[in-house]
Amino acid sequence: MQEKKITGKKLLGLLRDNSVPLMFVIICAICIPISGFSPSYLLNEIVTRVGRNTFLILCLLIPIIAGMGLNFGMTLGAMAGEIGLILVSDWQIWGIPGMILAMIISIPISVLLGTFCGKILNMAKGREMVTSYIISYFINGVYQLVVLYMMGKIIPIKHFSIKLPRGYGIRNTVSLLNMRQHLDNLLAINIKGVKIPVLTFIIIALLCVFITWFKKTKLGQDMRAVGQDMQVAKDAGIDVERTRIISIVMSTVMAGFGMIIYLQNMGNISTYSSHSQIGMFCIAALLVGGASVDKASIGNVFLGVTLFHLMFIVAPAAGAHITGDSMIGEYFRVFVSYGVITVALTMYETKKRKMKSRAGQQLEEDQRKEEAEANE
Amino acid sequence: MNEKVTFKDKLKEKVESFGLPRLIIAGFLLLLFILSPFVGADLPTQFTNTINRFSWNAIMVLAMVPMVHSGCGLNFGLPLGIISGLLGATLSIEFGFTGAFSFVGAILIATPIALLLGSAYGWLLNKIKGGEMMIATYVGFSSVSFMCMMWLLLPYHSPNMVWGLAGKGLRTTISLEGYYNQVLAKFLQINIGNLSIPTGTLLFFALLAFLMWAFLHTKTGTAMTAVGSNPVFAKAAGVNVDKSRLLSVMMSTWLAAIGILVYEQGFGFIQLYMAPFYMALPAVSAILIGGASVNKASITNVIIGTFLFQGIVTMTPTVMNSMIHMDMSEVIRIVVSNGMILYALTRKTEGGKK
Amino acid sequence: MNKKRTLLFRVIAVLLLIAIAAVMLVIGRGHTVYFDNKAQTETGESFEAPYKVEVYVDDERVAKLYEDERGMCTNIGQNFKMVLEITPEKGADPYTVSVGLKLPYNMDGVIINLPALLAGQPASVYQSEFIQTIPEETEEEEASDDMGNIDMGEM
Repeated sequence: MQEKKITGKKLLGLLRDNSVPLMFVIICAICIPISGFSPSYLLNEIVTRVGRNTFLILCLLIPIIAGMGLNFGMTLGAMAGEIGLILVSDWQIWGIPGMILAMIISIPISVLLGTFCGKILNMAKGREMVTSYIISYFINGVYQLVVLYMMGKIIPIKHFSIKLPRGYGIRNTVSLLNMRQHLDNLLAINIKGVKIPVLTFIIIALLCVFITWFKKTKLGQDMRAVGQDMQVAKDAGIDVERTRIISIVMSTVMAGFGMIIYLQNMGNISTYSSHSQIGMFCIAALLVGGASVDKASIGNVFLGVTLFHLMFIVAPAAGAHITGDSMIGEYFRVFVSYGVITVALTMYETKKRKMKSRAGQQLEEDQRKEEAEANE
Repeated sequence: MNEKVTFKDKLKEKVESFGLPRLIIAGFLLLLFILSPFVGADLPTQFTNTINRFSWNAIMVLAMVPMVHSGCGLNFGLPLGIISGLLGATLSIEFGFTGAFSFVGAILIATPIALLLGSAYGWLLNKIKGGEMMIATYVGFSSVSFMCMMWLLLPYHSPNMVWGLAGKGLRTTISLEGYYNQVLAKFLQINIGNLSIPTGTLLFFALLAFLMWAFLHTKTGTAMTAVGSNPVFAKAAGVNVDKSRLLSVMMSTWLAAIGILVYEQGFGFIQLYMAPFYMALPAVSAILIGGASVNKASITNVIIGTFLFQGIVTMTPTVMNSMIHMDMSEVIRIVVSNGMILYALTRKTEGGKK
Repeated sequence: MNKKRTLLFRVIAVLLLIAIAAVMLVIGRGHTVYFDNKAQTETGESFEAPYKVEVYVDDERVAKLYEDERGMCTNIGQNFKMVLEITPEKGADPYTVSVGLKLPYNMDGVIINLPALLAGQPASVYQSEFIQTIPEETEEEEASDDMGNIDMGEM
């Protein structure tokens, strides 16, 4: 009887902990038959999107280890990657060499922006998420200043295919036709009509290995310590501020790489909007995979990217089928993305409060016991 | 000698209390006003624009005050209130109200919706004390995207609002011509040459601001402030913390609903779908520019902040354009407003928490 | 000591990245190559165009040109190799020529006059730069909306 109760409780706990992924499984299960897509089409799309987005989502893991929550500042890295790509496409460096060059160009920019972001976040401890979120807007303004006014005037841009007719500033879209899917197509294999971009997956796997390895290094351990308790970490002689900055810088640099992989798959850059939603979608995908603000694993990333993008593909079609209006589905998936983040953040905060009050009660009880003992 | 030092100290103190970024922004605005005649902009017109924009936006900025007082932080969830206002506006038109009545109708319809949504929102924020701002942002975003679906699905029929061809689904912008366009602004409007002052709107704002000020000095109001500055102490003094916070959130949401209605009457259009999405950020940065911090805000902050913010928003394009033939105002606005929010977020919260 | 070593490693890492970047700049430079199968007359001399030329790059036919026709393909890097299958007269037996040439780094588009090339002329004769004409556009593109417009583009 007792045992049954405990297993029941455990099951309930398990259900509660995984409520977000479960919800998504249900949404997808309902939408897939309605959407009327064939399984091979869905599989193909999913494989493409997993290859496209996973790298970007993985970059969120390191700040979570360091206890800095979901890094909305990953947009900064995305912007750095875009600047790299814009320059590379002006210099007409194509294909994979172009991607590598763009990545190298993005590194110093990412490091600079990441350091800035890390420093600001150190000044706003306890409010990292909302601050990193505002930083992404702030830097977006600076990015526009650079791309819209300085490129072509101060930073030389030669080709009129990417420059605005007025002589400076970058066009709304920059074509990456000569880079499009070069990475994905190299070593790609085709299994029953499903194209698998092997090289992209190898790169993602390497990043996963790197992250697992990194967690075990001294720096990784330091980060975990900082994430658990800053005060304790400080007492143990860890340079807390520096460790936090490093975690953000790493995340930003990786986000830059991720954005380049993402855009090479897309084949063009929307200069002023490609990056603006990327942070939101990546974070939503990670949360869908069952991650929370303080705990996320590589498994969460893969589960999340699959479920989230499955929803992304089927929701508009399902919405169009039900209501006869294709926009409904579009809005629906945006709503779900935001809704998921809201729910996940709420669950995290309530859990944190519960833990805190439980810890407080525990402390009180202990004190009372001690006092009672002392009185005896 | 001694006197000089004290004067210097006093000056320093003044500057510190006013805040350096605020000083820079005020100086920048002053510079813009001084420059504008030289670059060929008509000063009275510029001033009219600034005052107009001030009158449209001030109430939404005022909506920040109660939540800051009760310690809920900056209300990034402002879009939720705006949604209530939009529902009020569209329903009022749908029910066939016209002219000034449509404005009253909109307020009357928006009020219960705002209070309902506000109480749900307040209940949520009470469950997640400490993480309000981030969740507020996402509550706002999800509600806007949810309403995007609703604007398409709700059975609106008024031909002035729905898409002409399909006969259903609301348009993205709805003209208020014949409804409450300029209904407040035209009331007692003062016109001197190119200068015109929307007295009615300003009076309406003054009324609400006065009510807010008066409320903050009632027993409930002071209790709310106590909750914000020191929740533990407030609890010990017998104040119901959760109730105070809930009330503040409801007030903020209601003010946002009224704020968007006033904005619409000035602007002349109802903007639906994604339009409310980013309306929280200008309001937040306006009150911060006015001297508020994450846990301290007054009516004066609202007035100064809105004036400075809207002043810069209206003045920069004209002055910049005629000076360097480059419209960088957009970029300046993004950098200034978000920079201001960043500045406020990185300040150590004074008092209360250590 | 340790600090010096870290610094050294960092400098090496930066230099390595710069070196890779330089290599990428060279090997990744993309060119569009245009083939003209028409008589070259600009330099005074005239080289007759063959009846038909088929251009193969990497065993793939990129162009099949009759007289006065132009074909194109893209190439990454400065070394460009192609195989030309030439039919001098209608009905005549085709023969193949394998050509390898260097593309100038600073040219985005390179026009290669095939008759001149086949006549064994120097690069200055058979090569010329392709200048893209910019279509006049009047539309002013604007920066994205205020705080970042919501764009529900493809993910």
